[in-house]
Amino acid sequence: MVRLIRAELRKLLGLPTAWVGLVLGTLMAPVVVLLNAPYTRRAIAAGTLTDTPDLGLRDLGIGLIGPVILGVIVVSSEYTSTGEDAPGARQLTATLTAAPDRLRLLAAKTTALVLVVAAQAAITAAATLTLTKVLYAEHAPAPAPTRVVAAILYWVLTALLAYAIALITRNGIVPLTLLILNSTVVSVSYLLTKVTDLAAYLPDIAGAHMFIRSADFPVEIAPVTAGLVMTAWVVALLAVGAVLFHRRDA
Amino acid sequence: MITIDRVSKTKGRTQILYDVTFEARPGQVTGFLGPNGAGKTSTLRILLGLDRPQRGTALVCGRPYRELDRPLTTVGALLDGSGAHRARTARAHLRWVAASNGLPDSRVDEVLEVVGLTGDALKRAGRFSLGMSRRLGLATALLGDPEVLVLDEPVNGLDPAGIRWMREFLRDSAEQGRTVLLSSHLMGELAEIADDVIVIDKGRIVIQGRLADVIGDHRTLEDAFFALTATEAGGAW
Amino acid sequence: MNTTRAELRKLVTLPSLRLTALLTWTGTLLLTFAYASAESRGEPLGHDAALAPLGYTQAGFLVLGVLAAASEHQAGDQIRTTLLAMPRRLPLHAAKAVTLAAVTLPLAAVTAVTSTVPAGDTARTPAATAYLILTTLLAAAVASLVRRAVPAMVLLLSLYFIAGPLLRARSDTIAAYLPDTAALDPSRGTAATIIWTLSALTLAALTVHRRDA
Repeated sequence: MVRLIRAELRKLLGLPTAWVGLVLGTLMAPVVVLLNAPYTRRAIAAGTLTDTPDLGLRDLGIGLIGPVILGVIVVSSEYTSTGEDAPGARQLTATLTAAPDRLRLLAAKTTALVLVVAAQAAITAAATLTLTKVLYAEHAPAPAPTRVVAAILYWVLTALLAYAIALITRNGIVPLTLLILNSTVVSVSYLLTKVTDLAAYLPDIAGAHMFIRSADFPVEIAPVTAGLVMTAWVVALLAVGAVLFHRRDA
Repeated sequence: MITIDRVSKTKGRTQILYDVTFEARPGQVTGFLGPNGAGKTSTLRILLGLDRPQRGTALVCGRPYRELDRPLTTVGALLDGSGAHRARTARAHLRWVAASNGLPDSRVDEVLEVVGLTGDALKRAGRFSLGMSRRLGLATALLGDPEVLVLDEPVNGLDPAGIRWMREFLRDSAEQGRTVLLSSHLMGELAEIADDVIVIDKGRIVIQGRLADVIGDHRTLEDAFFALTATEAGGAW
Repeated sequence: MNTTRAELRKLVTLPSLRLTALLTWTGTLLLTFAYASAESRGEPLGHDAALAPLGYTQAGFLVLGVLAAASEHQAGDQIRTTLLAMPRRLPLHAAKAVTLAAVTLPLAAVTAVTSTVPAGDTARTPAATAYLILTTLLAAAVASLVRRAVPAMVLLLSLYFIAGPLLRARSDTIAAYLPDTAALDPSRGTAATIIWTLSALTLAALTVHRRDA
């Protein structure tokens, strides 16, 4: 199993697009914090910025494109055509020849993804929060370690969400578009919460409750419950993806 | 008639073709022989206007490929794979190609019949086996009933029946006056069909001429090939 | 012209395009409903309900353009067949753009209508339609440069949904130079959209002209 995980790690880190995801994911949040510094300082001084407990953590959302790319590329790279001779053959054929037990393969892929994204999330969280502390000193209390861990968990679950959808749809474009669209400044899920309270249980909205305190959600969800809701979504989608992967032709 | 004149090509910083010069005449099957990586495909791609040479010219019937009007009626090319998008059916693929050169849709059914894919016309190209893909590629090349055929490793992926069929098809085409240029690294196969032979190695033409002349005193084409390419000094003719 | 006929046949026989068209229109329908329902609940979702759904579903048009262009390079070596059949690359590029615009027009019109009519703002439907078509062409140009769908989408999504909103929030002047400002506010940024699209198409044409297949 360790051998499989190592192979999948090497595969993932050998993809140029994966590095794009890593760089973007790691740098975006700190960069945005830096760029917004003058405005934020002014807002704090003027008293218009009220959610100071969320400073820093809130900006992490902008880097979510990173884990989404990683989650997508882990799957979509397997489905790229390897050559013109037999367009039906894809990298997946070689992968499955080397590791015919599909469920173990999936487990290895999932583990590799989790490791990479968790590492990236930790780095970007550390960078962003340190930067926030440096920039705003007394106005931004250092968040409790549990919240930071929750944020990292949110990142990992987001990557797994992208990964599961890519597994189900067998292409990278659908999850990429859906999830990046949703991680924008005004996400679709957030819009839907205005229409129906049920939308508060969508994975990205619910999950945000794990570490964001002061956003405008219609339904209050305790952090631990939030974590469970998002995890449940991910597990369900992964299960569907795993079953399909197991049963489909390569 | 195909004329390649002093074509040189660099890919990145490596030179892959050095002053490649040869001719393929109508009514003959010209075999372009060389090991993998010798430069056969690169030369053909330049001939077909897909890549640009740094120097030299490659002409079909006296003109560069890109200047041909409705090129598929002059040149039919079979390169690797089928050239079709995985999600399209064979028929849909052939239909757009036919439209591109103003060919009637009836040609689609005709070529499908020639290569024996009539029953698979509505299958997606992604579901084709290696052999079927080659046949689809050949069907595409034949749509315009061209007078020049350029084939890169045409028997690659074909079963014995397919290989024999291809051999007879190419001989018949040449006998009908077509120019047939095929590249291969399978010397035994080439010796069965070629009239003229051009040998390329490491980007340079080593020898060219009638099959019998190239074999010379050696027992087989293969022996001749290894003898000729054993010496590093072999330069272009 | 033959090239146009061929490119048209290509576009209508690509299954992923039909699926994208369907999903995009459905998404617009749902979002329009969401906006309308929120308004009727007394909680308007903010600014321009007529065009706001398009701000999201324009992503579908990005996908359309990317898939149309990337299909030449992925899932088989179709670009080779295309260049063998139609070796003159500049006319080919032009024909591709024209056919893509023509094929996108019905979807763009229907989507724009779905978004603007329920909000009672039909005056802006033509502008919205044009915007969506230009967006599709821009995406196709980017994809023909990058040659792979996922990287092209990453690029476009980053620009339209991350960099764009961020930059727009900081500075109004920058906003007028971004390609997607016109989605929400056609009075500004229309010129930008047109220039971005034409530039991308030109860059793609010149690159494709010189590049090895």
